Amino acid sequence: MIPLEFVLMISSVLFVIGAAGVILKKNAIMILMSIEIMLNAANINLVAFSSYFGDATGQGFALFSIGIAAAEVTIGLAILLNLNKLRKTVNVDDINLLRW
Amino acid sequence: MEIPILSLMLLVSLVGALVTFFMGKNPKMAKMSALVFSAIPLALSLFMLTEYVQTAGGYQFEESFTWIESLGISYMLGVDGISVPMVFLSTLLVFLAVIFSWDIDHRTNQFMALLLVLELGVLGVFTALDYFLFYIFWEVVLIPMYFLISVWGGPRRAYSAIKFFIYTHIASLAMLLGIFALYFEAASINGSYSFSMIDINAVSPMFGQTFQVIVFGALFFGFAVKMPSFPFHTWLPDAHVEAPTAGSVLLAGLLLKMGSYGIIRIAFPALPDGASEWQWVMVILAILSIVYGAIMCLAQKDLKKMVAYSSISHMGIVMLGFATFTEIGIAAGVFQMFAHGLITAVLFMMCGVVQHKAGTRNIPRLGGLASKMPLGATFMMIGFMASLGLPGMVGFVAEFSVMTATFDAFGWLLLIPVTSIAFTAAYYIWAMQRTLFGPLTKEVDADHLHDVYWYEALPMAVLCGLIVLFGMFPALVMDYIRPALGTVLGLLGGI
Amino acid sequence: MDILEFAWLIPVLPLLAFVIVGFLGSKMKDKGGIVALAGVGGGMVLALWTAFELLTTGRIYRANQDWVVLSSEYTLEMGIYLDNVAAMMLIVVSLISFLVVVYSLGYMHDQGPRRHRYFTEICLFVGVMLGLVLANNFFQMFVFWELVGLCSYLLIGFWYERPAAARAAKKAFLVTRVGDVMFMVGLFILFTELRTFNYESVWGMLDSADPTMMAFAAFFLFGGAIGKSAQFPLHDWLPDAMEGPTTVSALIHAATMVNAGVYLVARSFPIIATSAEVSLFVGAIGGITAFVAATMALCAPKIKGVLAYSTVSQLGYMILGLGAGAFLWHHGHHVAASVAFGAGLFHLMNHAFFKGQLFLGAGAVIHFVHTEELAKMGGLGKYMKVSMITMLISCLSIAGIPPLSGFWSKDEVLAMTFEAGDAGLTFMVLWILGVLTAFMTAFYMFRMWFMVFKGQPNEGTKHATEHGGHKHEAPVSMLLPLVVLAALAFGSGFSLFIGDGFFGAIYYDHAHVLSIGERLTEVFTSPLTYISIVAAVSGIMLAYFSFNKTKVSAEKVVSKGFPKAMHQLLLDRYKFPVAYDKIGYVGVYGTSLLLDKFDRYVIDGIVNGISAFLIKSGGVVRKLQNGFVQSYATLLLIGVSFIMILLYVVGVLR
Repeated sequence: MIPLEFVLMISSVLFVIGAAGVILKKNAIMILMSIEIMLNAANINLVAFSSYFGDATGQGFALFSIGIAAAEVTIGLAILLNLNKLRKTVNVDDINLLRW
Repeated sequence: MEIPILSLMLLVSLVGALVTFFMGKNPKMAKMSALVFSAIPLALSLFMLTEYVQTAGGYQFEESFTWIESLGISYMLGVDGISVPMVFLSTLLVFLAVIFSWDIDHRTNQFMALLLVLELGVLGVFTALDYFLFYIFWEVVLIPMYFLISVWGGPRRAYSAIKFFIYTHIASLAMLLGIFALYFEAASINGSYSFSMIDINAVSPMFGQTFQVIVFGALFFGFAVKMPSFPFHTWLPDAHVEAPTAGSVLLAGLLLKMGSYGIIRIAFPALPDGASEWQWVMVILAILSIVYGAIMCLAQKDLKKMVAYSSISHMGIVMLGFATFTEIGIAAGVFQMFAHGLITAVLFMMCGVVQHKAGTRNIPRLGGLASKMPLGATFMMIGFMASLGLPGMVGFVAEFSVMTATFDAFGWLLLIPVTSIAFTAAYYIWAMQRTLFGPLTKEVDADHLHDVYWYEALPMAVLCGLIVLFGMFPALVMDYIRPALGTVLGLLGGI
Repeated sequence: MDILEFAWLIPVLPLLAFVIVGFLGSKMKDKGGIVALAGVGGGMVLALWTAFELLTTGRIYRANQDWVVLSSEYTLEMGIYLDNVAAMMLIVVSLISFLVVVYSLGYMHDQGPRRHRYFTEICLFVGVMLGLVLANNFFQMFVFWELVGLCSYLLIGFWYERPAAARAAKKAFLVTRVGDVMFMVGLFILFTELRTFNYESVWGMLDSADPTMMAFAAFFLFGGAIGKSAQFPLHDWLPDAMEGPTTVSALIHAATMVNAGVYLVARSFPIIATSAEVSLFVGAIGGITAFVAATMALCAPKIKGVLAYSTVSQLGYMILGLGAGAFLWHHGHHVAASVAFGAGLFHLMNHAFFKGQLFLGAGAVIHFVHTEELAKMGGLGKYMKVSMITMLISCLSIAGIPPLSGFWSKDEVLAMTFEAGDAGLTFMVLWILGVLTAFMTAFYMFRMWFMVFKGQPNEGTKHATEHGGHKHEAPVSMLLPLVVLAALAFGSGFSLFIGDGFFGAIYYDHAHVLSIGERLTEVFTSPLTYISIVAAVSGIMLAYFSFNKTKVSAEKVVSKGFPKAMHQLLLDRYKFPVAYDKIGYVGVYGTSLLLDKFDRYVIDGIVNGISAFLIKSGGVVRKLQNGFVQSYATLLLIGVSFIMILLYVVGVLR
């Protein structure tokens, strides 16, 4: 069996990659994808701990998380499509209307 | 069967507020409904005055229901000799304010409803025996006053209303913190959580010294702002200048009393040791308020602002009385609360009348009003004379006794506050000379200047009558107050 | 039936009239005059009866009632304490008040609906003054004392639409208020030290009380009298108070207001006597007041002005007598002290009669010529015989010509001051001042009298008598009081020879009973008596030569050099009004304006500053909300990482 630490390391790396993507990428689609990566990092953690403690609750939560992530991506993409229609761009630097 | 008279008062004013509010279509009906619904609590409070057993001491007409059991919050009402005069004053002033506002034609129903909501809050504050309930009513009072100022106020009403609201609300938060501190500390001694004033005050001697000093500070700040004491007073003149007359009457007549009532009802019994540590702060602030307020009055050009500053001075006398920690001082302080409520109401009504008839309250522009409005001038004179502490009027005994107690307790320090008596006379007499006497000025429109209308004269006549009545027979009120002070004094005497 | 049981009705009757006139007077045909007359008259009858009972039996009547209980040891009481001193006051107050009301019926006849207010306030005035006399404790005295002040305020400002009247009323109220504050402080000391305000309890406890505190109490109580009785340096309100109707001046000067101060000194006499310094102070204030006021009366241009200064001056005599008495008592001369005490009050009584007469007479004169300027009168004797003769009697009386009443009392005051001079040299000086004052009194009174009734008719007189003006004297209701008061001014001094004599009835602790022969011998064998007579006669002569025969021209004397400067200073009342205004406007009002700035810019500045700071700092922080989602995320990440590291460092995560 794979030791817990390995899995946690993998998920940490994934999480950092995702976070870096969210912060650094300018394309909104890429940011959405990065968010998915971060979510998956969390899912891996959930599953890993679930198997480590022999408790199925974690896996259940992981399933929930996947489902919600799917819904979230759907909404996110819909917003982006509308945005693209209106502003002809998906670059987040051009979208700063929600400010003071 | 016992009638739950206090709850009935609260209920009537609440129902009255709702009924009045929904009479927006018909201003006349709204006025009538407000009149009726404010007359009922007045009648109830008169009934209460007769039923109250003066010598018994302790709380009477008590009602107690558990409200939120898990937090120890209960719906507890009751009155003692300190609150009985205040309850009477509240119902009376709201009733008279309704009559006085008979000419309000802008959103009449809302105005009247707000007056009744205010009555609900004030009566709640003066009768609640549960800290949580007390706080709720305390906050209920703020809201109608805020709207009274910001909707029916003068030109700078927005600034004044928000200043009033934020200033007093910050004070309320300090007080709320203090109340929570009391709640948890008492629970750690009692072993059970309770917001009941009786439960908490019962263990107050066991509170630690440091705890008492800190918590008293928080509570005192809350009440001092409300009174208001120097240097937390600047919201008051602004609020008064902009508020409609009825609002000013209730603000000065009742809301300020909540501050001093809080000191005597909450801060002293719950934290006697803290009070003794803070005694000198209270004395100094009180003396500053008295003298500073009086001198400030001299400088005012606006009649209403002058009266507002005089309130600061007179509430300082209340605090000075309390701060002596003697029976004379506290009794006289409570009496002064009552007296000031009656007097200041007349004064603010008169300010409203002057504004209404002459079109300005600016003292240098006024003059010779006595010849055009003899009745109004008489009321104004009675009010001014009562306020400057003329014997035979209600303010005198209180003021004189507070000063006596001050000399008894602090000796020659008295010479500072006693000068205010001369200053007080100076600003009132001077203001009277400039507004009522002398020839009519050009600024005043003499043709439109007529004497007070019936709805203005009636409330002032009632108040002036009471001022003289209680001035000649102060024992009528004092006999309620004095027996009730035993508990507070017992706790303070333990210092 | 014991009349003393009904003594409480004495003030109640006028007060009842006050209530009736106040509420119903405007509907009555004469605006309440008759009701006022009935109320004050009823009070007078009862008062005289009571006084008769007291003086003939020598009883002391006491009654006491709790007014309000504030604590177990602090009960404010209302009661009645009637002794011979109170009896004398009752006679003076009630009689003169009644005569003034009678006079007012005629004098105020042309005032229309205003009479309603006039009679209302007069009834209140008389009622509260009688209440003050009846009081059995200092607190009660203070209560009525303040109400007396209120009434004088209202009546001085009776013609409120005249700015001068409104100003004078304000000044009267505020200046006496300064004295009232001192009175209050005196009361606080009394309560703190002795726990009672009752006269007899206070007097009884003086031996065991702390002498320093008692000296302070005496000082502050006397401060009240300084204000109310217009003593130096708070005397300046009284001349201004002439703005009221003349009847009111008569009431204030003769019957009510100013006598209250002297009465207070009489009631606190034992307290004052505990301290030599305070006694001396009282005497000195009295002497200085008498002298200073007399100098100002020398050249007063208005008829009522002369009388007003003369009142201040005569009050100074009374206070001087009482002060000398207290001083003598302190030094163990008990009999002399009692006589001095009596002499002060004797002068109060005599002064009340002749000054009441003089004011009412002046009222008749003003009623006739419609001016107050002495220079515009002259030659009125032809038209106003009754006024002229009655006023002559009063002038002779106040000047101190035997055997008129003023002679006896003034002489006794001066004699006692001289006697006090043995114990303290200061009283010697005060005696000299007193004699000089007597000279000046005679001079200025007769200056007034000559200028009004003798000499050439001037414009005022001409205006009144020509052009078909009323050439007759005032109506009977005005003349009757003049005659009655003149008779009293002539004869009240003979009370020295009735029964045990005045000093056998009005005394402090030691009656001084002398037979008629003894009294006369005592008075007329003393060289002092002749000194004061000479002073009075020479004063009259001087006035005669300068204002009737014009042998000495007053105008020439004051036309240049030092006399001119002095004359101007006296017309300016020693700059006292200016000083009051400086203190009031520049000192107090200036301070208040400064404080107003402080309040507006410093205190409110801090309050507004806090809110402005919060708004500003919000403005700064909101710049962080720049709309770039990625920068939010970055901040979030940094924040979370920071917290994690922190928690790790602190050790929560280990």
